[in-house]
Parts: sequence; structure tokens; C-alpha cells
Amino acid sequence: MFTKEILFRKIQSTKFYIFIAVIAISAVIPLVVGGAFLIHVLTLMALFTIYASSWNLLANSGQGSLGHAAFLGIGGFVSSLLAINLGIPPIIGIFIGSVLSAGIGFLIGLTCVRLKAWFLAMVTFGFSVIAETLVSQFDDVTHGILGFRTPLLVPSGLYFYYFAVLLAALSVIAIYFIMKSKIGLTFRAIHQNESESRMIGINTAKYKLYAFVISTFFAGLAGGLYAHFLRYISVSVFAAGNSFKPLMMSVIGGLGTIEGPIIGAIIIVAIDSLLPNIDKFLQPALSPLFPAVSFVGPPLRFLGLGVFLVIVVIFLPKGVSSLLHKIHNYFREETKKANNIERK
Amino acid sequence: MIDLSTLVLTLIWGAAIGCIYVLLATGLNLIFGVMKLVNFAHGELLMIGAYVGYSVLTLLGVNAYIAVFLSMAIVALIGIVVERLAFRRVLGSDKLNEIFVSLGLILIFDNIAVLVWGEKSQRIISPFENMSLRLGEVSISYDWLIAVAFVIVILIALLFLIKKTKIGMAMRATSQKSQASMLMGINIEHIYIFTFALGAALAGAAGVLYGIIFPFNPYIGALPTIKAFAIIILGGLGSIPGAIIGGLLYGIAEQSAVIFLGGIWRNAVAFSVLIIVLLLRPKGLFGEKGE
Repeated sequence: MFTKEILFRKIQSTKFYIFIAVIAISAVIPLVVGGAFLIHVLTLMALFTIYASSWNLLANSGQGSLGHAAFLGIGGFVSSLLAINLGIPPIIGIFIGSVLSAGIGFLIGLTCVRLKAWFLAMVTFGFSVIAETLVSQFDDVTHGILGFRTPLLVPSGLYFYYFAVLLAALSVIAIYFIMKSKIGLTFRAIHQNESESRMIGINTAKYKLYAFVISTFFAGLAGGLYAHFLRYISVSVFAAGNSFKPLMMSVIGGLGTIEGPIIGAIIIVAIDSLLPNIDKFLQPALSPLFPAVSFVGPPLRFLGLGVFLVIVVIFLPKGVSSLLHKIHNYFREETKKANNIERK
Repeated sequence: MIDLSTLVLTLIWGAAIGCIYVLLATGLNLIFGVMKLVNFAHGELLMIGAYVGYSVLTLLGVNAYIAVFLSMAIVALIGIVVERLAFRRVLGSDKLNEIFVSLGLILIFDNIAVLVWGEKSQRIISPFENMSLRLGEVSISYDWLIAVAFVIVILIALLFLIKKTKIGMAMRATSQKSQASMLMGINIEHIYIFTFALGAALAGAAGVLYGIIFPFNPYIGALPTIKAFAIIILGGLGSIPGAIIGGLLYGIAEQSAVIFLGGIWRNAVAFSVLIIVLLLRPKGLFGEKGE
């Protein structure tokens, strides 16, 4: 019993140290390597960490949303429009946007919690299309069709980066504690077997609704930050690609883990932002092969992402983070063995 | 503003579009019924079907309506590959995995189409281009009529296959109780492959008919999937007559919304129908059992 407790604490502390190390590295990195473009990419990674973590929390309760872009867009539009029309400072606006997004998430959730996985996926996807249509329809209020320039949240560049990392760290900590709490355990129970959870007295609809509200709150927060970071917002924020990104990040990183969405966000944003530089070199070599397209890079990249996603789902269902766990376990076993030999 | 001829045209247009969606929805329904699998990439098969039809037409110079059959065969082959390599491996595991694989397939198909055929919009030119039947003030393009006729013929053939042949019986048995039918000596792996290929072939046929009526590009696939979904839910899961009536109703609803509310509502209608039906009558209009 005693040893078990020590081991438990040890694992806890390893995770804690890793978290501190990641924060420290992300604080130091821009000072070491610098460059406006790199800071841009790193900020995007922090933003998508929030967004992917919010999606992951929802998926953890067995609900795979295909329309999270709706909440990203709601968060962004609310905060930007409040700042422009009413002069509310964006730093308050992003939280008003998140709360509103969570409110709408509650209403959508009321429909969704009774649905099976694929209907839920369809309805959420549909909701993002409806949101796009409504924003285009009421263009006089939203100015969504052409888009508009959003006001400054914090000075762009390094300041924005640290602000985004701060919010990402806080969000990840909040989501970590939610997932470790009784609510998070209930989410996982519902995901694994809904009827059994209902049998032992869990009000599954209520808990799934909780997941929806919490998840859409963070998605709205990510949306607000995203809009103020890009300094521009239009209906294109509702595009299906923005709904699929958090899914790909979570699945590739590791579904249902706290570190999965972070790893996934880093991988996908890196692929999205850094590969176009390589595309330029590939272009002359590959374009004779595909005469139909003018730029070979983007479709090849997306094709690769699709193949990557399918392969991860089939062969590595727990994502890239499970590989890291395996490596970690391997080294722990090795040190244990070494210790045992020493003791003998 | 709204006169009789607009109304008649709306109904006919809606029915013609609905017919194409019926084909797609029936394929999706079939695959769901037998394999309990939801293929979110089904609309991509429609898009590939349209491009296959286009290529067959330009390379071999055959009639657009003969291309329908060639496209069905080729898309069925693609369906077999997809079933073997991707869906087979996640079948029966977490439902979310099937959704993830479908999304991966959407990315794969869309971008293969971009690489092979480019992003430009294409059209399949039919031999009856610009010819139409005049009935008083209303003129109906021959292509719409032929599309409707095609869908009717294909659906009758499909019903015959399911109700009268041995493999159709095996499919029905598998859809009811897959393990019991395995005990009865049905090779359900083969049934799964056949069902998926059949569903894919229907999507291929729908693709060519779609390409004759509308211009298409590599990104058209996602919306037809969702419309097919709305139709299945409207008509009731697993019910083929339901899907037919649902498809016609849906096509008319969509066309009415475009004419009376404006073009940007075309896609929102699908989801409004989907959400309203799921809220009010989750079994669909003709569904037997709730899912």
C-alpha cells in the first residue's frame, strides 16, 4: 500500500514536471529562436491547443462534434462585434463571447444529447452550416460576408504569444481538473457504455449536456482569441476545415488524453504552417505529374493528412501520445530492472 | 410574383434533384442496414462517380447515359477497396472511429480528385443538351426526365435484387442478425463487400446524373452526404420506400426554399429538416424502429 502511494505520487509529479517544463520551454522558445513568423506559428499552436482540448473534452463523453467551427465563429464574431459597436474592450469581449457560445452550446446540446454518435455528428455539422447561413443572411449586423478588421486585443507579436500561452495553460489546467474529477469520470463511463451508465443511476443526458457547455465555452474562447489574433473575421471561419481540425488534432495526438490535443495541435499547425515553404521546392519537380492543378503542394498535403488520419485510427487508436507513454514505460521498466540488479 | 408556372417548375425541379439524392440515400441506407456502418464519405463517391463519368465521356467519347453504367462499375470497385482497406478494420469498434476514418477518406478522395482533375468546375455534356419538353408555359429539360427515369429503373432493379435473389435474401438476413446468419452458413464478409460495392455503385450512378444536371468540382461531396442523411432520417432508417418519399419531399422543400427564401438557404434547409425531424419524430416518417 505504502509503495503504491509513493509510486502514485511519483507519476503525479512526473506529469507535473513535464507540464512545468512545457510551459518553461514555450516561454523561452521565442526568445531563443525569435522571428515574427515563428512567433505567429507558436501562437497558432497555443490557440489550437485550447480549441482542440475543448473538442477532446466533448469527445471524451462520446460525442464527436463535426461542427465546432460554429462555436469558434460565435466566439470570434461576438467579441469583435461588441468591441466595434459598443466599444467593449476585447479582453472582456472574449469572455462574453465564450459565455454566449456556451449558452448556444447548451441549446444545441439539448437536441444533441439524445442522439447516437452519427446523428450527433450530422446535427453539429449542420449547425455550423446554419450558423454560416444566418451570419450571411444578417449581413447588415454581422458584416460577415466580406469580413472586417477586428480590434487589437493585446499588442501583437510576443505579447499576444504570452497572452495566448497563459490562456492555453489555464484552459488545459481547467480541462485537466474537469477530466480528473467525478464529472470527467462520468464522461468516460458514458463514452464506454451509455446504457450501463444509465443503469447505475447516471443521468447521462445531464452529463452530456455538461460536456457540451464546457466544451463550447472553451471553443468560444479560442474563437475570440483567434479572431483578434488574425485581426480579421468573416464567414469563412465557419468552414468545414475549421471543424475538422480539432478532430484531427485530438485523434492524431491521442483521443481522451490531456496531452493528446496539445501534441496534435503542435503537429497539425506545424504541418500547415511550415510545409508550404517546402512545397515551393517540390513544385517544379511534381507539377509535370499533375498537369490539372497549378499548385501541387496543398492538395498533396491534405491527401497526406487524410492518409495519416486513417492510419492513426486503424493502427494507433490511442494516437501519437500512446507512443510516448510506451517509451516512458519502457525506460521505467529498464531503470526498475537496473535498480533490482544493483540491490541484488 | 409566385405564379402557377413557377410552382410547377419548383415541384419538377425539386423532384429531379430529389431523385438523385434518393439514389445516394438508398446506398447509404443499404450500407447502414447491413453493416451498421455510417459512411460519411459517401458523397465523395458521388463526386468521384461524376468525374469518372466525365473522363469516360472525354476519353472514350461514349454517350453520357452509357457512362452511368461504366461509372457504377468503377465506383463499385473503389468501394470494395475502401471497405477492405479502411472500414473493415474499424467495423464494430468505437462508433467515433468510423467517423474519423470517413473524414480521412473525405480528405483523401477530395485531394486525389484535385490532383487528377483539377479544381475547375466541370460538366458532363449530355446528348440532349438544351433540349426541353414544352408543356404550355412550363418547359422541362429532357435531362431531368431521363434522370428521373434512370433512378426509377435502378431502384426497381435494386428492389428485385433485394427481395427476389438469393444474395438479397442473405443481405436481409445479415441486416437482421449477423451472427445468426453466419451460423446459417452465410459468409457475411462477402455480404459486407457486396453491400458496400452496391452502395458505392448507386453513388456512382448518382454522380453521373448529378454531373449532367449540375456543374461539379472536387468539393461538392460533403453536402450531398448530409442531404442524403436528412432524407434517410426523414424517411426512416432502413426503409427504402421511406427514402424515396423522403427524397422527393426533401428535393421539393429545398427547391422551394431557394425560390422563396433565396439561394443561400439551399444548404441550411437540409439541416433544418434534419434537426426538426430528429426533434419531433426521431423514427422518421416511415421508420419501424428508433435508433
